[in-house]
Amino acid sequence: MPLHVNLYHEVQRQDRARRRDPLRLGMLAILVIAVGFIAYYFVELEQCHAVATVFGGLQDDWSRIDPKCKAAKARQDELDDQIKASDQLKKNVESRFYLAPVLGEILRTVPQNVQLLHVAVDAPADGDATTSLLTVSGISSAAEPRREAETVRTALEAKLGTEFKKVTSVFKALDDSDQLVTFNGHPLPTATFTIEFEIQVRDPIVAAPTPVRRQRIAAE
Amino acid sequence: MKLDSEQIKKIFAALLVLAFILYAYFAFLLGPLQKSQQDATAGIASLEPQIADAKKQIARTAGLEKEAPQATAFLTDIKNSIPDGAPIAWFPPKMTEFFRSQGIEKCTTHLVSDGADSMPGFRRMVWSIDLPKVEFIPLGVAISHLENNEPLLNILNVTIDATREDAQYQHATLVLATLVKS
Repeated sequence: MPLHVNLYHEVQRQDRARRRDPLRLGMLAILVIAVGFIAYYFVELEQCHAVATVFGGLQDDWSRIDPKCKAAKARQDELDDQIKASDQLKKNVESRFYLAPVLGEILRTVPQNVQLLHVAVDAPADGDATTSLLTVSGISSAAEPRREAETVRTALEAKLGTEFKKVTSVFKALDDSDQLVTFNGHPLPTATFTIEFEIQVRDPIVAAPTPVRRQRIAAE
Repeated sequence: MKLDSEQIKKIFAALLVLAFILYAYFAFLLGPLQKSQQDATAGIASLEPQIADAKKQIARTAGLEKEAPQATAFLTDIKNSIPDGAPIAWFPPKMTEFFRSQGIEKCTTHLVSDGADSMPGFRRMVWSIDLPKVEFIPLGVAISHLENNEPLLNILNVTIDATREDAQYQHATLVLATLVKS
């Protein structure tokens, strides 16, 4: 085997040492990492741009829709108020108490031998009130004028009872009179009367029961 | 492999540079980018339901707008039926004309009270109508027509008294409330 003398071993050693230089290797590693980071940054930048584009579009939509939405809300409130007012007005009109039927029943019920001197009808005071008050004063003439007045009271109560929910009546006054009236050629004794009718025209509004709070009983 | 002091210095310097680059990368590049991306994502998450709600609101109002004319027709008709101008100027003549059309010639109308009503856009006025000479049946018919033809009118009280002069006629007083435009 021939003897081989490497006269360049010093140069090669230095070359190997330069290739294995930790600083150089480190710089190369940093460069690779930096390229990776930059690539990742651009990926993130692209994603961020896409998200920002979507967000910008939504902001444009919102800036366009928001005034319309506010106007729509205001208009809805206005329409709701109008509809509510219309419904309330309709309810008020439909729940009115009509006085004409009461007068009609009086006309149909009171006989010829009874003369009415005063009739007063009060409608329920407000929407919550349920009763109406009818006051009838007059003169009854018959063989038994008090009984005639009672007949008028019961007949009118029965008639009004068919029209309304509940009717109660009471004599406020019933007095014999000295005067005689001639009816169908016969003189008849008379009595003056005042009858008050309480007419329930609608059901009372039942309030929702309020929760009763238990009171703590103080120990004696 | 044994490192000499020069190489150790270089490695240390390289590590310092690397640490600085990493810090700068995360603090000034990637961090703000991710922050703005998170903000945009959060903004999208909050805006999307708001836009959906706004669209629903607009659609709801549009639907209501279509239904409103029918729903408020009663209110519109009622308001249109009320004459313009001061009620004291047109209501008494209207009542006089009405009772004349019912065959009751004498009629005097007075304003009793005037106040706000619970209904928005309306005022409640209470009037007293004096009918000094009226027969019971025509009065009942007139009241019936009045109640049926004037939906805003509410008769509060009717008082009928027999007159001493003529038993055929009565003296009637009506107290009624009506709504007018405020």
